[in-house]
Amino acid sequence: MHSTHRPLLPRAAAGAAAAVLAAGLAACSTGGDDDGTLNILIDNSEATGSLMQALVDAYTEAHPDVEIELEIRPGGTEGDNIVKTRLQTGDMPDLFFYNSGSLLQALNPSQMLTDLSGETYLDSVTDTFKDGVTSGDAVHGVPVGQAIGGGVLYNLAAYEELGLEVPTTWDEFMANNQAILDAGTAAPVIQTYGTESAWTSQLFVLADNYNVLAAEPDWADAYTANEAHFADTPAALAGFEHLQEVAEAGYLNEDFASLTYNEGLAALVAGEGVHYPILTNALTEIEAVDPEGVDQLGFFGLPGDAPAEAGVTTWLPGALYLPQTNEDPGPAQDFLAFVASTEGCDAQTAGVSVIGPYFIDGCTVPSDVPPAVAQLQAYFDAGLTAPALEFLSPVKGPALEQITVEVGSGIRSAADAAALYDEDVKKQAQQLGLEGW
Amino acid sequence: MKRTKGVASGLIAIVLSAVVFLVPFAFIVLTASKTRGEAALREFSLPSEWAIWENFLAVVQARDYMLLAAFVNSTILTVASIVLMVVLAAMVGYVMQRRPNRWTPLANALVLAGLIIPPAVVPTIWVLQGLGLFRTLPGLVLIEVAYGLSFCVLLFRAFVATIPREVDEAAVIDGAGPVRLFFQVILPLLRSVIWTVVIVQAVAVFNDFQNPLYFLPGDDHATVQLTLYNFRSQYTTQWNLLFMDILLITVPPLIMYAFFNRQIVAGLTSGAVKG
Repeated sequence: MHSTHRPLLPRAAAGAAAAVLAAGLAACSTGGDDDGTLNILIDNSEATGSLMQALVDAYTEAHPDVEIELEIRPGGTEGDNIVKTRLQTGDMPDLFFYNSGSLLQALNPSQMLTDLSGETYLDSVTDTFKDGVTSGDAVHGVPVGQAIGGGVLYNLAAYEELGLEVPTTWDEFMANNQAILDAGTAAPVIQTYGTESAWTSQLFVLADNYNVLAAEPDWADAYTANEAHFADTPAALAGFEHLQEVAEAGYLNEDFASLTYNEGLAALVAGEGVHYPILTNALTEIEAVDPEGVDQLGFFGLPGDAPAEAGVTTWLPGALYLPQTNEDPGPAQDFLAFVASTEGCDAQTAGVSVIGPYFIDGCTVPSDVPPAVAQLQAYFDAGLTAPALEFLSPVKGPALEQITVEVGSGIRSAADAAALYDEDVKKQAQQLGLEGW
Repeated sequence: MKRTKGVASGLIAIVLSAVVFLVPFAFIVLTASKTRGEAALREFSLPSEWAIWENFLAVVQARDYMLLAAFVNSTILTVASIVLMVVLAAMVGYVMQRRPNRWTPLANALVLAGLIIPPAVVPTIWVLQGLGLFRTLPGLVLIEVAYGLSFCVLLFRAFVATIPREVDEAAVIDGAGPVRLFFQVILPLLRSVIWTVVIVQAVAVFNDFQNPLYFLPGDDHATVQLTLYNFRSQYTTQWNLLFMDILLITVPPLIMYAFFNRQIVAGLTSGAVKG
């Protein structure tokens, strides 16, 4: 039996398999994207989407022969993976939008991105921003969007009702918290450690950088060189301690462990909580959900122990980058020049509500902004700002949000947490190949 | 007495499955009908203002009617992958079971390797680029087939073992050639396991998120699962539109289930008894 069909079957099966495969491949000549349009990869946040759409609309109106397509990718760690994968495989579109600061450094920018430092349009970009997109001598990005402040958003009505003043020191802030707690109608401080919201727990530490730099001007360089650490620098440790103090004093909302970022913002607007340490781009989210809610909030920088002048820690917006794999960078360069001009920021102002000052010389912010934005602007006008640590040093550990959640939940002490975080950044610094680690 | 007991336990089972399956579905429908501000609260409540039609239009029109193109892509992807997987896996399973030789252990090891070794993204893209298949739907079809084939081969191989060898012999004596033997005699006998493979892999491929995300970038090529990212991002989420999108994506499999209900259940149970 076997001998009769043994030679036949394998050949027939192989032939049939090949036929099926060929049928599957028949329609494979589509694809490829080099059809003269300018493709830009952006993340899927509403803020980026509407900013980029406003820029693209204004640009194509002035240049009707150019066609621009926006391609959307997810944000967060998944987005980081996509950007890295597409850079590595040479599949990055003509331009892409990505974070500045330490996340940019993780892309290996000097090998992947075009150096723009020789371009004249970069002269109008402020030096503060250029520092955040520089690797070695090369400058890589053009800013999209406005400066973001990290500090405390607070409910204006509650402050008025209790007759409170905006605090300039940590002790005043704690006194305000006590007054709110005594009044008994709202939680003094909102914390949100729920689903996908653990990152909000880092603000007490990250937004304290202005105060750290006020006490230790060389902190960022010493930190990058492995000479100073959170655990052995009292000014830096203060961020962890403040979070512990707030948690131990019972100032947090009861449901801090399960509340999410969105719910936290809603609670702040509704007056169920009075202070929420967060980034000011939260205003964009609030405005999208509840346009009138934005006017009920104020903003102040996270108070320090005793700085002469209270200031605010700022975050740089993301930027557009030109990958080295772009073989015809002319149209992309022209678009970058437009983004870096005053026409560019006017287009952004027209398309999206402004939440902070621009990083391009000559750009102005309209006068009728919400109160929190005006308060942030006041810090910039007075020059009382300092960048967050992630824009001054490439060292940022991946586990900070888990560690600060532990501190805020009363599981770990501040000193212990700072020491653990110093351990956490060690691996990342070694991966980056920094000297001294 | 016995009968009332049976009725009572039956009722409890019905109520339980209603709670487990219908309540989440009701939550999806209700949230999909709310305005954005109300949906952000994520409460299980009736919407104060029904916005189901507005949400439907917003989702369908989002990003230049991306959802419609995505449905076409997902359908092609699912159907093509499953046809390839069923035919190839049935052939491999049949040969491996019927005619073991000294290569069979090696083939077995390779099939198991396909189940065990995790896929790596960058090298796979490199291979696809070399073949000119990167960023194409056929390329993604081959990826899905490659990742799903091992599991299907194991299923078919186990099932072929239950078909008596005498069936093959009778067919050969009656004059069937190898191709006819496989396609006209063996394949029909595999019907119940084919249904099992179709159901399991259709769900897996239709719901796949990671592979389309990395291997088929670009808005033109989006599959339905990727459209979820139109409404969900790191800082902001439009819950009403997200749930409307989920609702629209859930509907086609539900319709399929309504039509093929009988075959699906028969396939699953007969496979279970024989396998």
